[in-house]
Amino acid sequence: MKVVGARIPRYDGVAHVTGRTTYVDDVRVPGTLWVKALRSPHHHAGITRLDTQAAEEIPGVHAVITWQDVPLLEYGHLSALGIPADEPLLAKDEVRYKGQPIALVAADDEEIAAEAVSRIDIDFEERPAMLDVRQAFDPESPEIHREGNWYKHFEDEMDRRQIRKGDIEWAFEHADTIVQGVYRPAAIEHAPIETQTCQVVPEASGRLTIYSCTQALYFSMGVVAAHLQVPLNKLKFVGGTTGGGFGGKVDTATETMCALLAMKSGKPVKWRWTREEEFLCSSTRAPWHMELADAVTKDGWILGRKMLTLHDAGAYSRFSPYGLTKHSFHHTGAYTIPNLQFDGYVVYTNRTPTTAMRGFGVTSVSFATETHMSRIADVLGIDPIEIRLKNANRIGDTSPNGIVYTDPSTVSTIQTMAEAIGHELPADYRTMTSEPRTGALLPEHLVAQTANPEEH
Amino acid sequence: MAKHRGKGIAAIEYPTGMNQNGDPSQAWIKVKPDGRIDVFAGTADIGNGSKTIQSQIVAETIGVPYDWVTYDNSNTDSSPMCTGTFASRATFVAGMAALKAAQEVKVKLLEIAGKELEIDPSDLEIIDGEVIAKGSPQTKMNVADVAGAATFGHGELITGTGAQLKPYAAIIDSETGTVDSPPHSAISYATCAAEVEVDDETGQVQVLRLQQCYDVGRAINPTQVEGQIEGGAMMGLGLGVLENCYPYYPDVENRGGQFGSYLAPGMEEMPQIDTIMIENPSADGPYGAKGIGEMANNPQPPAIAAAVYDAVGVWVTELPITPERVLRALEAKAAGGGEPRREGKKVVFDEELSVNTVSSGGMRFEVPA
Repeated sequence: MKVVGARIPRYDGVAHVTGRTTYVDDVRVPGTLWVKALRSPHHHAGITRLDTQAAEEIPGVHAVITWQDVPLLEYGHLSALGIPADEPLLAKDEVRYKGQPIALVAADDEEIAAEAVSRIDIDFEERPAMLDVRQAFDPESPEIHREGNWYKHFEDEMDRRQIRKGDIEWAFEHADTIVQGVYRPAAIEHAPIETQTCQVVPEASGRLTIYSCTQALYFSMGVVAAHLQVPLNKLKFVGGTTGGGFGGKVDTATETMCALLAMKSGKPVKWRWTREEEFLCSSTRAPWHMELADAVTKDGWILGRKMLTLHDAGAYSRFSPYGLTKHSFHHTGAYTIPNLQFDGYVVYTNRTPTTAMRGFGVTSVSFATETHMSRIADVLGIDPIEIRLKNANRIGDTSPNGIVYTDPSTVSTIQTMAEAIGHELPADYRTMTSEPRTGALLPEHLVAQTANPEEH
Repeated sequence: MAKHRGKGIAAIEYPTGMNQNGDPSQAWIKVKPDGRIDVFAGTADIGNGSKTIQSQIVAETIGVPYDWVTYDNSNTDSSPMCTGTFASRATFVAGMAALKAAQEVKVKLLEIAGKELEIDPSDLEIIDGEVIAKGSPQTKMNVADVAGAATFGHGELITGTGAQLKPYAAIIDSETGTVDSPPHSAISYATCAAEVEVDDETGQVQVLRLQQCYDVGRAINPTQVEGQIEGGAMMGLGLGVLENCYPYYPDVENRGGQFGSYLAPGMEEMPQIDTIMIENPSADGPYGAKGIGEMANNPQPPAIAAAVYDAVGVWVTELPITPERVLRALEAKAAGGGEPRREGKKVVFDEELSVNTVSSGGMRFEVPA
C-alpha cells in the first residue's frame, strides 16, 4: 500500500489557510435579502399576542414569517427513527427557552430587518422557569413540557432507558466496599468560527438552492423537505465544507426558515447568525448529572454498578433520546462489569436545547466512570493502572447490552501508556493480553457473563 | 502556598457509526477519458479530513496516484446520499462506500485493459497508474490509455457505485437494554495520562502534559489522525478546566456571548502532547480503519480530575475544574471536611450534589448497603 497510510497534505488545506475556501458566507447572490429573527426574551412564557403587520409595512421589508407559514410546524430531527417531534420550527403559543425563534423578517439589509423585528407586536405571559435538572426530575415540580418533565417514548413507551444485567443485589451483598459519587460535566458551546449561516436562492425552475453549512447535507435536506412538504427534487443543497461543526451543525437551524422566506418573498435570502446568537441561542453540549455506586472487592474487582443519569435536554428533545441510549450502552466504559442496574432519563429544562457534540452521550459517561475508577483505586489503595487492567474488557466478555467483545484493545492501550509514562507493572500485568479470561483473571463472578467469541 | 504536580490516567472506548446503525453512505465515481478519477459523495468535510481520506482510499483501491483523484461533495444534485459527518462515521462508513465504488471502477478498467491486451482480466493488476500483467511486468498499459480506449474505442463510460449500510438494529429490550445485534461498528480504544500543576493559592490548574495512546485500527493518513487526536485533546482540556456555558449552573445568567467572555482553550493553554498510535485493524472498516474523531476529547477530563487529586488531594467532579472549585474544595479540606462519608461498607462522595438533596421524594438514588 502506498497511498493509504501516507502522510498526504489535506485535500483542502491550502485553500483553508490562504482564505480561498468558499464558505456559505462567501457566496454572493445579487439582490439578496437579509434575515433577522425575533427571539424569545424569556426562559418560559406564553405568547398571548403576535401581530407582524407593523413590521411588514416598513419599506424594504419583503417577507415576515411566523409559525402560520410553516406547512409542517413540528418535525423531529429523529422522526425518521420513530422518535416523536416536540419542537415547533417557530414558536406558536409558548416559548420554552430564551432565544427561541418566534418570527423572522427578510429585508433589504440587516438594519431594516432588525428594525422590523423590533416593530413586531408581541405580548408574553411569563411563567416560572425550571433550570435545575434535579428539580425538574422531582415528580412534585410543575410541568414545563407538554409531555411532562421527562421524555416518555423509549421502547414500550418506557419513560427511561434501562439496563439490567446479572444480579445487582448479589453484587452489592458480596461487595467489600461500595463507592458512591456524583459527576456533573458542564454544558459547553461548539464555538465554531463559522456561525450558523444560510443562503437560499429561489430558482426560475421553482426549485430552491440552499447554501448550507450543515454537517449532513442529505439529513438536513430531509428535514427541510419534511417541514415544507416537498419532494427532494425541489431542493438542491450546496455545501460540503463546514467552518467548524463539532456536532452543532447537525441541527438544521437556519435552512428551513430561510427557504420559507425565499418562497414568500420570491427573492434570495441570507441569514448569518451574529456571534452572540451563535453563543447564546445555538444548541450546546448537554450538562449531565450522573450518580454512580460501584460494588467492589478489596482486591479491586468491580462486581456491580448502579447508575442514575439525568440528561439535561433543555427545552426540547432533539437528539437527546439517541444520546442517552448511546450513553447507557457505554456506561461500563472499557471494563467488564457483570451486574448492572442503569436508569437514564432525558429531562426537560428551560435552557437552550442541547444537541449532539463530539463524543455525544459518551464524553459524559467516560468522565464519570473513569474519575470513579480512579477514586475506587484510591479508596482501595490499589494501583490505578493495575485495577484498570484487571477489569479491562477482554475477548469473549459481554457489553452492558449483551454484545460479545471480539477485539478489544483496552489491555494494549493501557500497557503502552504505562510504558510511555515509565510506570512499572508487575509481570502478570505486563504480559497480559486481550485473549479470553482464564485462571486468576476469570473469577467466579465473571464466568456467567463470558461467551464464546467464535460464535459472534 | 505552593504549586503541586500530579498525574492521572483514564482509559476509554468508543463506537464507530450511528448508534443502532441504519445510517447509509453512498459514493459514485466516473473516469475521465485520460484516466483521471472523479469521486462524488455527499459527505461534508467539517475539518475531519474526509475529502482527503476518501480520495486516498479511492486512489489506493484502484491503484492510481493520489493526485489523479478529484473529490466533489459540493451538492446534492451530483452527489449521492450520505447520512452525514457525525458519529465518527465519515472514514469508516462513507470511506467504505468510496472503497466499494472504486472496486467497481477497477473491475471495469481491467475488463477494458483485458480486451486491449488480450489477457484475461484476472491476470492483470493496477499499480501506480499502470495495468500490468501479473508475472510479466513488461506487458502493461497505462490507465490513461485504458480510459481512452473505453471512451473512444469501446464507447463505454467507466463508473462505479458504492453503498455502505449496516441495517438498523431496532430491537432494544426495554427492560434489560439487551440488543439482538451489535448497535455499532468497530470499537476504538484509548488511554490518556495527564500531568498537571495546581496552584493552591489561586486554584489554577495548568495541564502540563497529555500522553495519549489510541488504537486507530489503521491510520489511512497518520498526519490527519494525529491532528484529530491533538485537536481533540485541546477540546478535552477545555471541557476539563475551562469551558462552561453556564458558569453558575443551573443558573443561566452570565452566559458568555463572545469568544472574549467564553473561556475556550487558546494556544497558551496547549500542553505538551505526545501521541502514540497502535493499529489493531477493524474487521469491517476500510483497510482496517476505525473512527476516532469523537473519542479524541473524551479521556482528558477524567485523567485531569485524577491528576488534580494526585496534586492537592481533592476530587472536583463538577466540570470544568475551575480555580473557584479547586479553592472551595481546598478550603473544605483544610476545615476538616471534604472527606467521603463512611457508613458500613459504603464510601459516599459528593452527597451535596445528589438528586436526593433536591428531590422531595419518589425519584431518588438509593443504594443497597
